[in-house]
Amino acid sequence: MMARVNDAELTRERLHAVVEEMYDRIIKGEPPTMTLPVRTKNNIGFDKKLGVFKYGKKRSIRDATSLGSAKNLLRALHVVEFIEEMIDAGKSSTLREMYYISEGWGLGKFSNQNESNNLAEDLEVVTTCLREDFKLRPEEDGARMIGNVTVNELNRRGQWMRINARDDVGDSGYGVPYNVEIEKIQLVEHDVKFLMAIETGGMFDRLIENGFDEDYNCGLIHLKGQPARSTRRIIKRMNEEWDLPVVVFLDGDPWSFRIFASIAYGAIKTAHISEYLATPSASYLGITADDILAYDLPADDLSKKDIEALNAELSDPRFADGWWQDQINMMLEIGKKAEQQSLAKYGLDFVTDTYLPEKLGEMGLI
Amino acid sequence: MAGIADKMARNQKQIAISEFFEKNKHFLGFDTLQRSIITAVKEAVDNSLDACEEARILPEIQIKISKLDAKKNILELTSEDNGPGIPQKSIEKVFGQLLFGSRFHAIRQSRGQQGIGITGVVMYSQLTTGKPTSVLSKVANDETTVSVNIGLDTRKNKAIKSDQDRIIWKNDDDTLKEHGLRVTTRMKAKYQRGRQSVYQYLRMTSIVNPHAEITFVDPDGEVHHWPRVTERLPGKVDAIKPHPHGIELGQLQRMCKESSDSRMTVFLRQNFSGVSMRAAKELCEAAELDITTKPKSLKPDHIRALLETFQGERLFSGKAVKLLAPPTNCLSPIEEMLIKKGLSKTIDSKFITTMTRIPTVSNGNPFQVEVGLIFGEGMPGDKHVEILRFANRVPLMYQQGGCLLTKAIESVDWRQYGLEQAGGKGVPKGPAAILVHLASTNVQFTSEAKEALSDNEIVFEEARKAMLEMGRGLRKHLEKKKKMAKTREKFELINDILPAIAEKSATILDRPIPNLSGSITRIMSAVICNELTTWNAETKQVDVDITLFNYTARARSYSLLINWPEKEGAVMDRNERGGRKEAMGIWGWKLETLESGEFAKINYSLSGLEKGDWTETEVFFRGSQDVIGATKLDEKMLDEIRRQEEILANNESEGFVSDQTTQTTLIGGAE
Repeated sequence: MMARVNDAELTRERLHAVVEEMYDRIIKGEPPTMTLPVRTKNNIGFDKKLGVFKYGKKRSIRDATSLGSAKNLLRALHVVEFIEEMIDAGKSSTLREMYYISEGWGLGKFSNQNESNNLAEDLEVVTTCLREDFKLRPEEDGARMIGNVTVNELNRRGQWMRINARDDVGDSGYGVPYNVEIEKIQLVEHDVKFLMAIETGGMFDRLIENGFDEDYNCGLIHLKGQPARSTRRIIKRMNEEWDLPVVVFLDGDPWSFRIFASIAYGAIKTAHISEYLATPSASYLGITADDILAYDLPADDLSKKDIEALNAELSDPRFADGWWQDQINMMLEIGKKAEQQSLAKYGLDFVTDTYLPEKLGEMGLI
Repeated sequence: MAGIADKMARNQKQIAISEFFEKNKHFLGFDTLQRSIITAVKEAVDNSLDACEEARILPEIQIKISKLDAKKNILELTSEDNGPGIPQKSIEKVFGQLLFGSRFHAIRQSRGQQGIGITGVVMYSQLTTGKPTSVLSKVANDETTVSVNIGLDTRKNKAIKSDQDRIIWKNDDDTLKEHGLRVTTRMKAKYQRGRQSVYQYLRMTSIVNPHAEITFVDPDGEVHHWPRVTERLPGKVDAIKPHPHGIELGQLQRMCKESSDSRMTVFLRQNFSGVSMRAAKELCEAAELDITTKPKSLKPDHIRALLETFQGERLFSGKAVKLLAPPTNCLSPIEEMLIKKGLSKTIDSKFITTMTRIPTVSNGNPFQVEVGLIFGEGMPGDKHVEILRFANRVPLMYQQGGCLLTKAIESVDWRQYGLEQAGGKGVPKGPAAILVHLASTNVQFTSEAKEALSDNEIVFEEARKAMLEMGRGLRKHLEKKKKMAKTREKFELINDILPAIAEKSATILDRPIPNLSGSITRIMSAVICNELTTWNAETKQVDVDITLFNYTARARSYSLLINWPEKEGAVMDRNERGGRKEAMGIWGWKLETLESGEFAKINYSLSGLEKGDWTETEVFFRGSQDVIGATKLDEKMLDEIRRQEEILANNESEGFVSDQTTQTTLIGGAE
């Protein structure tokens, strides 16, 4: 299970265990190593107890026998030291700030930010701590939310602010902060029947302009592509704490399937915290491969990369069930993909007047 | 190459010289304004190099081009050398007569096979500007210098001298010019840069004439200088007589007509190479000629019969008459070491491989192919490699695609040697330049323009073989480079990263810094040899530094052997470890036993070499465990090298020419 946020001693202890592994190997006359779960689709499995996909037992050993991995170990040590300094000083930093701070780490400096992001994730995985425990923040954009949902947010001055995401916000909605844990966000009350997560800003704005949230009494969340951790986390909290159904409305292409999987089943990269981020009861509303045919949507040909991605999904354990296999195979068969906004073929109101009511009706939500 | 001269001689009487020039300007090299200036420089430089070679003088050549009238495209060319100069009475012949110095009997490798020589320049200058060409000529024996202007009487095909005078010619430093020639001429022409330019021509010339010092001042006043890199003049080339296999009908007719020999056998033996007394008799019999016939009296049918016998179409007792191969010492290859020097002075690079094939004969003509390949960071990696073609030390700058030498390059699958090449055919891409030189007594061109060599299967095969061998050298170099990069990484790992990991982890855990030797041995888990061959500008020596590390868990003992350019005259210096000579160019040391984690060093220097001569040392080892960075010695190969050496030593004492390729081949094969 995850370490409790803010448990500084436990975090320190677990980070030291990583360092000890390296140190002890050197003492034994061996190359230092760092052992971590394999983070690919081949090592994720369904955890029945948690209802999400988690890493399996496969471990990879990063050892200092090549220059690249040796440098990685050295960087890990610098990051551990840096985290300890922040814990001691009661400070926090963004991942980007850490990347720049690494300029002073000599041989252990990062050559790009991807490296530092990955290493922070590695350490999370190995220690089963959260990056919040490490005092590291992402810069990633949280979601936008609109609907009759009320939260309390602790503001910069340390005061709780009550915000209703329908009445207290402008057209762009309530901006979800990067930290949505209980010490920062409290879910107060709501009057919605379900939550709808939407991939594109264009569709989110269309639904708001058409008053869909009020007509159908729902909360709308703009995912902004592959959703940030905080977006997935707040969906999960609202789903659990308020027992709200979640539907996901995305483009109809292989990449959207992956977005859905990360919301519902857990993302491969963050499978160590799936139970914390994933919403297993979320359902996929569309665009489905069926929809492309049933609504005769304007569609583009699948690219080579699309086809590769679909084939990869066929062997992804998260898409192992029959419905997904059918959808993926059908998309491969028709060789087409369609965007959410292709529904505009039938007019601006078609999505809110016809498509969504029909789909939500099928799902038993209205 | 007497064909053009013939044609010209026949035509001259009938047509005015300007008309002749206009008609033939394509093969004379004056067909475009851009090409005209290159041709003019070429004629001047070829003359200077040939003259210096004949007089055994190390050439110093200065070329200066300036724009006299940019609008009308008038350029002035000045060419000056330190050659023997031309005696006063010969000047008008050299500069003002189309057919001076015809020597069709003598066959040898020579530069001056292009166009009609410097006379063409004088003519072009006069036709386009109406001005004569100024000549300064100083010969060593004269006190003073001849100064004269040469023009042409275009109707009489004769030189017109004007303003002849004798002057004192001084160098820039006010000393008297000892000997030399200066030609100043004006012409309608256009100076351009790029692959076909005066600059490129001079650059290429300097590569194949490493004994020449060339300075070029371009129209912008920029000075380009290609220094001399060897004091050695090209070997004197002996003229040889034509070989019956390579002769044409016209030439044979002429030889017969001009012969004063009393009988056929004498004629055949004295005017041809490769013909013994026995062969002369057999040739006559096969051609149904009486051996006492006077060659001068031969009828056209007889001559044709003789030619057919030469070519093996008429037989002697059922077989073609057996002839000796022509001698090959009439060729003047540049030779591997000098190609290396030539290339490395014009192109900055880490790796050069060169190869001089042994002389061969095609159609009675001796020839020899030489190639060089230079590879390195200084050249663009995404473009086609630069091809530097030469025939008898003359750069070929046009018609690259149609040339036999290019085709030989294109026929090689360079991908296997580490260059990029679409489909394994065509000119490869990569940071490299390929040089190919054909030395021959009879260079066959595709056209009168003399810019591309025509197809010849035997020459093609020779060139191709040379490329393949060179390619193997390149591949070996690249493999070694890759291995070295990997080894360097490992050293960075154990010398820098691992200690940092140890220190940092100890700090975080607040424990003592651990000892690293065990981890290092496990990480490297190999015996590693590091070789560094560098030019020491201070001592003018090549310093070689070899270190052998034992990063295995056990003690190891080895002998190391290296190759070095002993044959090329290098001397080993400061070799404190001693060791012993294992074979010609192979030195070896027996090393003390290395315990786990220990290393041994070998240092020595090579003198008698110049920068770029020796850039990489190959290390071989004797011992059980493999060594990264060294090749396991093949004892059989070493024995073979020793055996060859003995043979060579014996041959040399008997006066044979040694085979230059032997040693490279054997070491190359020792993998």
